[in-house]
Amino acid sequence: MAIRRIRKLNPSFLRQIFFILISISILFLSLSSITYAQIQTRLRVVRASSIGHEIDPSLKELHKELKTFFSFTSYRLLREENLTLSLNKPVSITAREGRIIWEATLVGLHRGLAEVRIRVVSEGRETFNTQVRLTPGRTILVGGPRIRDGVIIYALFAKF
Amino acid sequence: MKNHCPSPKLLERYFDQEASDEERTLLENHLIHCLSCHERLKLMGILREAIKKPVEEAMEKETFPWVWEKIEMGIKREQKASWWESFRLWLEPTPLFRKKVWIPALATLMVLLLITVSVLFKKITSYSEGTVVKYLESPIYDVMVYQLEKQKVTIIWLFEESES
Repeated sequence: MAIRRIRKLNPSFLRQIFFILISISILFLSLSSITYAQIQTRLRVVRASSIGHEIDPSLKELHKELKTFFSFTSYRLLREENLTLSLNKPVSITAREGRIIWEATLVGLHRGLAEVRIRVVSEGRETFNTQVRLTPGRTILVGGPRIRDGVIIYALFAKF
Repeated sequence: MKNHCPSPKLLERYFDQEASDEERTLLENHLIHCLSCHERLKLMGILREAIKKPVEEAMEKETFPWVWEKIEMGIKREQKASWWESFRLWLEPTPLFRKKVWIPALATLMVLLLITVSVLFKKITSYSEGTVVKYLESPIYDVMVYQLEKQKVTIIWLFEESES
């Protein structure tokens, strides 16, 4: 009985199913590519100073890069954040009890290239605003502001 | 000398073995040297075969709608269509394609999707490939950008006023 029914539905019913599945697949792929327009980033906040010779063990790899540019002798990891950046959705981290806000926004995403806007707001005032293009494996270092006996360096690295 | 081809009706009568003796003799003489009529007769034979088998199946199983589709497909297959024509015929039984309104609707949907995706994933072409920093603004710092391609590191250094 069941076999007989299937044969009756053949082949137009199967073709309808085929087209419905194809349409759903196209829609799903389009929507998923929109939904997953995001990248993983790692932000490390480092205090660099010329006092002492302490290198944070977790900064060993980054230190290889840092030492070619800077003459600081001590690097200490203050904070590490893994941030997921979605298109046009700002992600922020705060420091010094909310007096400093570090904000990153993914503003563009292309194959192997992410455009990220970075803003730093200090005491309610925007002190820094930039837009950078991140490629996989590239590190952006933003440094300079003084902190106690050293300077602060933000290291942004993207994985996508 | 080539004779004039017989009318299709006469050819059908001959095929159905309903032609008179005189007509049959005339036609058989004509068929010796007329490839076109020969082909027409051959096609009639193919069509008959295409219809005969499914009808017999239908008689046994009483699944007429399905059998009619098979007949249609059999006839169309025998017409040796191009690949595009074959694809179109394969789609034809689908109600989606019977209703022609779906074709422009689907095309519009595809265009809209393409526009949406291209807007969302717009390629950045306004500056050179090697540039990492697109723009930089700071009302309180002097800024230096240093870029090393080998190490894949870009440094943005902010100089406070007291440093300069």
